[in-house]
Amino acid sequence: MTLESSVERKYLAKDFRSELKPIWCPGCGDFGVLQAVYRALAGIGRAPHEIAFVSGIGCSSRIPGYTTAYGFNSVHGRALPIAQGIKLANPELLVLVAGGDGDGFSIGGGHVPHAIRRNLDLTYIVMDNQIYGLTKGQLSPTSPRGLKTPTSEYGSFEDPVNPLLYVLAYGANFVAQGTPADMPGLAAIIEEAIRYPGFSFVNVQSPCVTYGEEEQQVKAHRAHMKTLESLGHDPADRLAAMGLAQAYGQELYTGVFYRNDTPAPTLDALARERQKTMAGQGLPRERILESFVQR
Amino acid sequence: MDDLVIGMAGSGGDGIVSAGESLIAAAAYEGYYAMMTKSFGSQVRGGESSCRVRLSTRRVHNPGGILDIAVALNWDDFLKFGAELPVSGQTVVIYEAKTGVAPGAIPLSGVTPKEVFAVPIGDMAKQATGTDKAKNTVVLGLVAGWFGIAREAMLRGLAKKFAKKGAALIQANEKAFVLGELFAKEHPLATPRAMDRAVAQAGSKLLTDGNDMCAAAAIFGGCDFFSGYPITPSSEVMQFFTTHVWKYGGAALQCEDEMAGIGAALGASFAGKKAMTATSGPGLALKTEIMGLASIAELPLVILDVQRGGPSTGLPTKPEQSDLFAAAFSAHGDVLRPVLAPTSVADTFDVTVEAFNVAERYQTPVILLSDQEVAQRKETVDPIDTSRFQIEHRKLPTETDLQDYARFRQTEDGVSPISHPGMLGGNYQGAGIEHNEHGNPTASGKIHAAMNEKRFRKLAPLKGRKDLFHIDGHEGATLALVAWGSIAGVCREAAALARAEGLDVKLLVPWLVYPVAEEIYRDFFASVRSGFVVEQSHQGQLYRILRMYVDVPAGVVPFCRSGANPIMPGEVVAKLRNAAVALQQPTTSMASED
Repeated sequence: MTLESSVERKYLAKDFRSELKPIWCPGCGDFGVLQAVYRALAGIGRAPHEIAFVSGIGCSSRIPGYTTAYGFNSVHGRALPIAQGIKLANPELLVLVAGGDGDGFSIGGGHVPHAIRRNLDLTYIVMDNQIYGLTKGQLSPTSPRGLKTPTSEYGSFEDPVNPLLYVLAYGANFVAQGTPADMPGLAAIIEEAIRYPGFSFVNVQSPCVTYGEEEQQVKAHRAHMKTLESLGHDPADRLAAMGLAQAYGQELYTGVFYRNDTPAPTLDALARERQKTMAGQGLPRERILESFVQR
Repeated sequence: MDDLVIGMAGSGGDGIVSAGESLIAAAAYEGYYAMMTKSFGSQVRGGESSCRVRLSTRRVHNPGGILDIAVALNWDDFLKFGAELPVSGQTVVIYEAKTGVAPGAIPLSGVTPKEVFAVPIGDMAKQATGTDKAKNTVVLGLVAGWFGIAREAMLRGLAKKFAKKGAALIQANEKAFVLGELFAKEHPLATPRAMDRAVAQAGSKLLTDGNDMCAAAAIFGGCDFFSGYPITPSSEVMQFFTTHVWKYGGAALQCEDEMAGIGAALGASFAGKKAMTATSGPGLALKTEIMGLASIAELPLVILDVQRGGPSTGLPTKPEQSDLFAAAFSAHGDVLRPVLAPTSVADTFDVTVEAFNVAERYQTPVILLSDQEVAQRKETVDPIDTSRFQIEHRKLPTETDLQDYARFRQTEDGVSPISHPGMLGGNYQGAGIEHNEHGNPTASGKIHAAMNEKRFRKLAPLKGRKDLFHIDGHEGATLALVAWGSIAGVCREAAALARAEGLDVKLLVPWLVYPVAEEIYRDFFASVRSGFVVEQSHQGQLYRILRMYVDVPAGVVPFCRSGANPIMPGEVVAKLRNAAVALQQPTTSMASED
C-alpha cells in the first residue's frame, strides 16, 4: 500500500478533533489527555488517515473515537495485541494505544511485558485513575491499600501495581509520566514518546472526578507535581529511574523516567528487512503446492 | 491385492513413526495412494507410539479398518492402542522375538497362528548396523519382502534419509533392510499376498498433512498474516507460516497467549490484510471474546480450530469432533459465524481457500474446523490445478463511497465497503460497542436491531451454496448417511461398500457445517426413511444442530462415539444392512404398540 505523503502539510490540533462529544464527566482528567494528544499529533504532522489509534474498554478507552484517526475501540485488555498486529501488518502507520489502568494492568496485564520485549514501534498511553470509573467506582489494580470502594467496603487489603516500575523492570526503552494538570507538558511527553523509535510507555495520572480521591484531583496535582528535570534526573540512567519510580503513589513526578538512546531495532523494522531479504525465495503462490510433490 | 493396511507400535525411541514415514514416502513416490496416521500418548519422549499406513492402487478416504499387517516391537505398547490397531484372522502379525512370547501365546485374540511371526528384529538390526536403532529398517525389509512393496523406492528413501550421516550408515541400513527381506523369503506367509503395482506415474503425487496443506492453501488464498499460540495439534500451521510467509511479503507472530494470537490477527485484518490464527479446543475457548469482536466490527478473519479430544485438556493428541457446538455457538450476543470443515488432506486446500473467500466477501470471522486426524495424517494428494480457484478480496470503498464514507452503511446485501488505515477519506472507528452506520457508538435499540439484522442478512446467501455440500448416491434412496470432517472419509468408503452389497444408500458431506442450510438438508432427507449421522463425539453434535433447524426424519439417528475410538467403514455398513432389513419388514412398530 502506498500512503499519501503528509510531510508537506501542516496539521493543527483541531484537525485531529472528531465531531463526537466525549461522554466523560465534566472535569475528568481524560479531557486534558485528549487535548494533549491533539497537540502532540499536530506536532508530529502525520495525516489522520495514517494513524491507527487502538484502545480497550473503559472510560479512557473511548478516546480514539474523539480523534479523526482510524480508531479501534476493541475489547477489555486486548488493545496491545491488536495494535501490534496492525503495526506488523503495516509498519508505515503511526500506531497509538490507549486505555485505563484496569485495561493495562489488570485484565490486559499479561500483554504488557510482551509488547515491551517485542518492541514494535508504538506508543502506549495509560490513563491511570486508580479506580474503575465506568463500572462505578470499584477497586483498580493501582488503587492504594486501604481504599474504600463498593468492592472494598472496609478498605482494600491489596498493594497497588506500580506501572512505572513494572514496565521499567520488563525493559521498556522509553518510560514517562504526565498529568493533565500540565497539559502542554503532557503533550510534549506524548510527542516525544511517539517520536521515540520503538515501544514507548506514558503513564498519565488522569484523575477520576466522580470516584477519585480528593488528593488525586487536578487541583492537587498542580500543588504536588514535580518535573524530573527539576530533580536533575538523567533519563539515560535506568537504575535512577527505577529509584524514582518507587515513589509512585506518593510523589507525582512528570517527564521522562527512562530513555534508551541506543535501542535495538524494532520488530517491525526487522520484519521488513526479513521480507526484503526473503522476497522471491518461495515458489509463486499459485505453485506453492509443488513443494509437497514426492520426488 | 490392491489395498493394504499396516499398523505398527513400539516405544517412543523405536522409530515406528520413522518407519511409517519411510514407507509412505516410498509408496507415494511409486504412485500408490496412501495415508498415514500417527498416535501417541501425550508425552514428548518415551511412552507408546504407533502409526498406521494404508496403501492402495485406488484413492483412499480413511486410514482403513482391520490391519492386514500388525507389527509389535513390544506387547505392552501395542496393546495400549486397543481399538486403534484391530486385528482379525486375516492379519499377518510380526513381533519382536525378544518379547519371549510364543507365537501361540500372543495377547491378541482372533488371529491365525500360521500368520504369526516372531522375528529377532533387534538382533538383525544389531547384526547389520551394530546397534538396535535400525529396528525400523528391518521392519521395512520384512514388509517389502512379504508384500513386494516399493523395494527400490524404499532403498532410495533410506539413502536420502541418511545422506547427511555418511555412506557407512546408508550401507548398514541397506543391510538391515536386506536382512528383513531375506527373513521374509525364508519364512513365507501361509497365504502369500503381494501388493499390485501402482498405476499412477512415479514422482507425480503430493504427500503432506492437513496442517501444512492448510497453511499452504492460506498463502495461496492471499493470507499475509498469521499470529497464534502453540497448541497441539495445530502448531504446525504456525511453524509453516513463520518459515514461509516472509517470502511472500507477509508476517507471522508467535504471541504470548491465545487472546493475543487472535488479537494480533484481527489487528492485521483491520489494517487491510488477509489474516489467520490457529488453535485447538482450549484455545478456541480463550479466543471467544475476540471472535465476537470480529463479528460486530465486521472484520474478515480465519480461525483454524484443529479439534482434539475434550473438554479441557482432554486427549490432546487424539482426534474428536466435539468442538462443533463451540465453533457454531461460542459467543455472547446474537452472532452468526460460518463454520467450514475439511474432510481430508486434499480438500483441506479447497476448504481453506473457501474460508478466506467467505471471510473476505462477507467481512466475518470464519471457523475452519479441522480435526487431529485430518490435520496430522499424511496423505497422498493428486496434483491440484490451482487455476480453477477464484480468490476473493474484501469490497473496498470507491471514490464516491469515500466522499461521505460510512463504514457500516446499510446496503442491500448487508455488505458495506471496508476501508483500512492508510486509506485517505476512509477514516472510521472500528468497535466492539454497537455503532451506527458511521461507526459511532450507540445504545439505541433501533440501531442495534438494524445492525444485527444486517450482520445476519449478509450471510444468508451462504445457505444456498450447493457447492459446499457433496451428495452422492441415488437421489431417491431411502437409506442415508450424513458425515463431516475426518469421519466423512469413513462414510465414503462405507457407502461404496454398502452399494456393492446392493443397498440403496446416499451420503451427504457438508463442508459448510454452520449455518445449517435447511433447504439442502430438507431436499436430501425427502426420500430418506432410515439412516445415520456419523460422528466422532459422545453427543453427536451435528445431529443435534440439524435437529434445531431441520425436520430430520425419525428413522435417522446418531451413530457416534467418543474420540480415539475409531469408527470403521465395516461397522457403518453393518448398521446400514440392519436398517435396510428393518425397512423391509412390515410396520410392526405400530401393531406392537400395545
